[in-house]
Amino acid sequence: MNRSFNKSQPLRNPNCNAVEVKSKYGAEFRRFSLDRVKPGKFEEFYKLILHIHRIANMEVLIGYADVHGDLLPINNDDNFCKAVSTAHPLLRIFIQKQEEVDFSNFGNNTLTRKKKAVVTLRNSDINRKRPHIRIGMPQDFRPVSSIIDVDILPESHRRVRLFRHGSEKPLGFYIRDGTSVRVTPHGLEKVPGIFISRMVPGGLAESTGLLAVNDEVLEVNGIEVTGKSLDQVTDMMIANSHNLIVTVKPVNQRNNVVRSSRMSGSSGQSSDSGGSTGYPSLSVATVREMSSGAHSYHDDLESDEDGDIVIESNIKRPSQRSNASPASNASRTHHQTPTAPPVRTASSSPPSRPVSVISTASFQSQTSLNGGSHEQHTQPLHHSSNPALRHSNGSLHKILSSLKTDPRHSLALPKGGVEEDGTVITL
Amino acid sequence: MKRFRRHAHESQRERLKQELFHFNKTVEHGFPHQPSALGYSPSLQLLAIGTRSGAIKLYGAPGVEFMGLHDENAAVTQVHFMPHQVELVTLLDDNSLHMWTLRGHKGISELLEIGRFMLTGPPGAPPSVTSVTAVLAHSSGELLLLGTEGGHVFVVEVPGFRELEERNISLDQITNSIPDDYLGRRNLEHVEALVENPINPSQVVIGYGRGLMVIWDLEKKNAVQHLPATQQLESMWWTEDGSHILSSHSDGSYCRWRVGGPEEEEEEEEKSDIPYGHFPCKAISKIVQLPTEEGPPFLLFNGGMPRASYGDRHCITVIHGKTHVALDFTSRIIDFFVIRSGPQHTGDPSALVVLVEEEVVVIDLQTEGWPVIQTPYLVPLHSSAITCSHHVSAIPLKLWERIITSGELQNAHYSKKPWPIMGGQNLAPDPPQRDLLLTGHEDGTVRFWDASGVCLKPMYTLRTATAFHTDADPNDNMNPSAEGEWPPFRKVGCFDPYSDDPRLGIQKIHLCKYSGHLAVAGTAGQILMLEPNDEAAEHTVETKVVDLLQGQEGFRWKGHTRLNVREDPVEFPAGFQPFTLVQCQPPAVVTALSLHSEWKLVAFGTSHGFGLFDYQQNNNVFVRCTLNPSDQLALEGPLSRVKSIKKSLRQSFRRIRRSRVSLRKHHANNAAKIQEANARMEAELAEMELAPVQRKIEARSSDDSFTGLVRTLYFADTFLSDSTHHTPSLWAGTNGGCVFAYMIRLPAIEHRADEPVTAQPAKEIQLMHRAPVLGIVVLDGHGAPLPEPLEVAHDLARSPDMQASHHVVVTSEEQFKVFTLPKVSSKMKLKLTAVDGSRVRRVGVAWFGSSRTEDYGESGLVVLTNQGDVHVVSLPHVKMQVHYPCIRREDVSGIASCVFTRQGQGFYLISPSEFERFSLSTRFLVEPHCLVEPPFHSAPLSQHQPEPDGAHRIPQDGEEAESTARSIMEHALLNDEKVLQEIQKSLEGDQTSFLENSMKSAVA
Repeated sequence: MNRSFNKSQPLRNPNCNAVEVKSKYGAEFRRFSLDRVKPGKFEEFYKLILHIHRIANMEVLIGYADVHGDLLPINNDDNFCKAVSTAHPLLRIFIQKQEEVDFSNFGNNTLTRKKKAVVTLRNSDINRKRPHIRIGMPQDFRPVSSIIDVDILPESHRRVRLFRHGSEKPLGFYIRDGTSVRVTPHGLEKVPGIFISRMVPGGLAESTGLLAVNDEVLEVNGIEVTGKSLDQVTDMMIANSHNLIVTVKPVNQRNNVVRSSRMSGSSGQSSDSGGSTGYPSLSVATVREMSSGAHSYHDDLESDEDGDIVIESNIKRPSQRSNASPASNASRTHHQTPTAPPVRTASSSPPSRPVSVISTASFQSQTSLNGGSHEQHTQPLHHSSNPALRHSNGSLHKILSSLKTDPRHSLALPKGGVEEDGTVITL
Repeated sequence: MKRFRRHAHESQRERLKQELFHFNKTVEHGFPHQPSALGYSPSLQLLAIGTRSGAIKLYGAPGVEFMGLHDENAAVTQVHFMPHQVELVTLLDDNSLHMWTLRGHKGISELLEIGRFMLTGPPGAPPSVTSVTAVLAHSSGELLLLGTEGGHVFVVEVPGFRELEERNISLDQITNSIPDDYLGRRNLEHVEALVENPINPSQVVIGYGRGLMVIWDLEKKNAVQHLPATQQLESMWWTEDGSHILSSHSDGSYCRWRVGGPEEEEEEEEKSDIPYGHFPCKAISKIVQLPTEEGPPFLLFNGGMPRASYGDRHCITVIHGKTHVALDFTSRIIDFFVIRSGPQHTGDPSALVVLVEEEVVVIDLQTEGWPVIQTPYLVPLHSSAITCSHHVSAIPLKLWERIITSGELQNAHYSKKPWPIMGGQNLAPDPPQRDLLLTGHEDGTVRFWDASGVCLKPMYTLRTATAFHTDADPNDNMNPSAEGEWPPFRKVGCFDPYSDDPRLGIQKIHLCKYSGHLAVAGTAGQILMLEPNDEAAEHTVETKVVDLLQGQEGFRWKGHTRLNVREDPVEFPAGFQPFTLVQCQPPAVVTALSLHSEWKLVAFGTSHGFGLFDYQQNNNVFVRCTLNPSDQLALEGPLSRVKSIKKSLRQSFRRIRRSRVSLRKHHANNAAKIQEANARMEAELAEMELAPVQRKIEARSSDDSFTGLVRTLYFADTFLSDSTHHTPSLWAGTNGGCVFAYMIRLPAIEHRADEPVTAQPAKEIQLMHRAPVLGIVVLDGHGAPLPEPLEVAHDLARSPDMQASHHVVVTSEEQFKVFTLPKVSSKMKLKLTAVDGSRVRRVGVAWFGSSRTEDYGESGLVVLTNQGDVHVVSLPHVKMQVHYPCIRREDVSGIASCVFTRQGQGFYLISPSEFERFSLSTRFLVEPHCLVEPPFHSAPLSQHQPEPDGAHRIPQDGEEAESTARSIMEHALLNDEKVLQEIQKSLEGDQTSFLENSMKSAVA
């Protein structure tokens, strides 16, 4: 990373390394340029912005749109540097008053949502507004996991989100049946529960440190697991594996996030019973919260993160069918996300291969963080897949296996995946 | 305001849902699983079967069926109809007695439990004292005699189950009556049998296990006669004229005793015989003797076979004059009875009904050779294990008749006599259409069943094995009975669970009801194309081998070899005859099959790929290999899989042993270390044993096993390349969540026979969630599923809307997804697994008619999940409409066997031998509607003593009841005064529960 900035270096630099900047505050635009190689310090940039927009006596927050259309904050040298160096061709800056900032807009949206979000930026939708911890989000780090909804969960519980696309690692954990103790009106009662039984060494679950063996699984993507069988919960988790959100009651209650100071003495050691009893009623609140507050969580439930891959052959009308294949030379990949610019690749596919268009069909936008990274790494893979295609007679499997981000070689059958025709496959 | 409107809309939708969908389990088809008891009422002509799971099923005329279930989950050990009444008594193996009745309600009868009873002995008595071993429903209809293990006989008044203690016959009373010289008063053991004197209802014979039989007078409460048999008693029979008692014994003998007669002769055995004697024989567990008008009586008994040579046979011997046949059954005999001809069922024996463990066999005793009468119900579906099923609704009459004709030709060896059990009336309306259920079996047969009504009637059996060379020659073992063989065995029954060759097993069936073309696919990758022929014909079956691997390298098929086709011309009987065989290579199980009779194309898929075959030109159009190179399991075949598990087990054990050995070797001098190692190993083993069931949470990836297995194939005429031209297309879905679409070019009709059919790949969709694709449906411009082939041509369906854009609905195990066509983009979806953890197991398209208006209906997807729930998902919006629990989630085979009809009904196997039928539709419902009238016990019985009971059974509805009562009274006046008294008593207020019930229902 370029850390050699010179204090004496002027911010405006009219050489060919200049980055065009379009800064927007309210309805006003300002245009200026920055040096791509030596953008300078954030503080200087901040002052410059205040100066250019003639903002005085007011704290503002500076944000920019990255290549994927995500709105990301600029609040330190690192992310300022990142913003300038990745700007192409134009760095779009959005300025918000500190008190009007809607933090939830940051980060987690694709360009389509962004468009909307930019509008709401000024309308400042009060409903969606909620306090947020101010963290810089450099785009070159991929999230692998996060703790979410800390504010709405009991302290004894933890909601963990695992990003499958963000990691090369397998999810890597096992669950089992067990019994947990709940406080009911009739006193303590043993109830069946689902627990994490094992961590795969080197797996995503283990590497996050957020899940541990014997943690009780309470929810999967917002759905309670009580009353569900182990196989049902397994299927739910696998079905949500691209964006898995598990709510657990950690077996180790010492590392809980402490929300209020009154609990500090016992370091968040809220008694099991308290947490457990509180839970059912709380989960109702959680659901309600989801529609208003926990936006990203909610969106993930609704949206289709898993864009299916469609390969369309370049079919001529049946009458011209005979000379169809040589014509389909140019292969084009594009993502169907409406505003994303189609990425054209110049590589030519072999003439024998009739498959010519690969597109990702998704009817809602990608989730931002996934979406961004997804686009980033699928794109080069299309290139790399081409040689493979030449040998593979166009089998989709091969494209997919080359597309695959994580080199897991698990032969574990999805439970019940093929048991159907009992006579066909005997396990 | 808007919200309000929306609410109104939703409530309207809710109302509509109620009009469209309703879940009902309607009727059980097939043969009850694990039958344990049989009962028959000659007066009602009803047959009752009790099962080990506590169910009681009544059958009469075809369509007359009742079912009841005991609350206790105990086996039914005995079923007895109360003579000349609509009540029956069941004894369970928990020693409880239950009284059931057929109650008239709203014009139909229903089976109802009206009482239960458990014998209570004196305080402190051992439970054996009251453990019931024999039940006699006395002909008075008021008494139940219960013989117990302790040797007592309890008398109970029914239907109230009131113990009549003063009438009990205690063991002491009996032993006191025994002459002192008899066998030294040894223990008589339990009451084995109770039989009433057919001409004197006050006399019963009590048979004790040790062999003593005592004729007891119920009125005088004394022993009339003692019959001292020396062998363990198995059963007794009192001949109809009351003159003799037959007893059968555990050594395979039976004795004939003279009743009454001079005192001196009373202990004389008139005749004792071991029919299959010389060598030790098994017990005769039941014996029956029935007279004929002219000629010798019929003697029937169960068992008695020579223990060493034929001890494993399940035989009933029928002896009539010189004719002596040992009927050799396919499974253990539960019980049997004989139906007698004549209006009072007292004439010559007409039919022998035998309940064996796996089927019911009815033998016509009036026709020469005693042929078997084909059963219209209670047919063993599992005569060979069911491997798949296929339902076709609304069969055209022409094909229906052809199937029936072919079936009749097959049934030539059955008796021409009508079905003898004709009790009750079937009030169900005639089925609105002809429905066919096809079941594929392990032995390579396809059975055609008439599934239109309550009775699942067998129509025709297709044997595909005839086209192949099999180990077993069909000509031998059919007629094993050589001349002069003793015992004279005759095999009866059709239950035959032993398959000659598992490769013959049927996996997929597809029948086109308009053209009659049938495609049948089996375990060894064989796809037979058949068409109906009304005459037997001899021809060769043309074989086409299709290589699904397409020369992929490094694949080794370790599974079974393909079946050998008979190259010489084969004589095929009338019915469906094969004309082409498509043989997949490698010969893996066919996992998907689709037939398009209009285009004359058949598509098939295995775990290796799929292909399209043109059966008009007998030419393979194309093959697509769907194999994933890393999928070793699919390549090697099913056998290696089992081996690999075994191998891994063996390896792990070896590893443990090796570690032990190596540890010894290296640290032989260090005992502490060995101990440590042993401890570690023990801990490891303990962990292996104690490790709970775990499930791995891992995203599915493309190199999981069997991703290439083809799960579904579908033909559609739709827009695949552009939105202006629709073309024929073939769709395939795999286990790995991949959908392939091929565009098919068919030559013009006039050139169909000579120009080749071609196909080219058009689309591939990889579902990102990678769940197996179970169903593909294309929706037309109106959002309705495309009609079946030839449906439009036969004017039976509206032609699809080709103006607006089409959609394709892909059902995977986890989601329902709607994609636009021709440009494939996802439009709508419904997630199932991600939300409630259930997975789709079966999916079908059904049409639901509204119950309120004749003209409204909608199409929807009917779905069965791995939790056993049935869902209806609307089309084209894929919204969940209703869901009902249907099958227990543990019942994997039930879930796997489910098949849906086009009218929103379904079938699934509740046992290997029974289909449960259910309906999701409010309009299409097949359930029994039947009425059983209480018998009028009226005609004077020549030999049978006139019983005073039954006369007070008065049918429902006031006036009618009165008039019948009057007619009975008149009749009774002419015959018996006792009857008259009974009637008057009953009319004057001592009304029976039956009358009360009917009154109540009349008021209601």
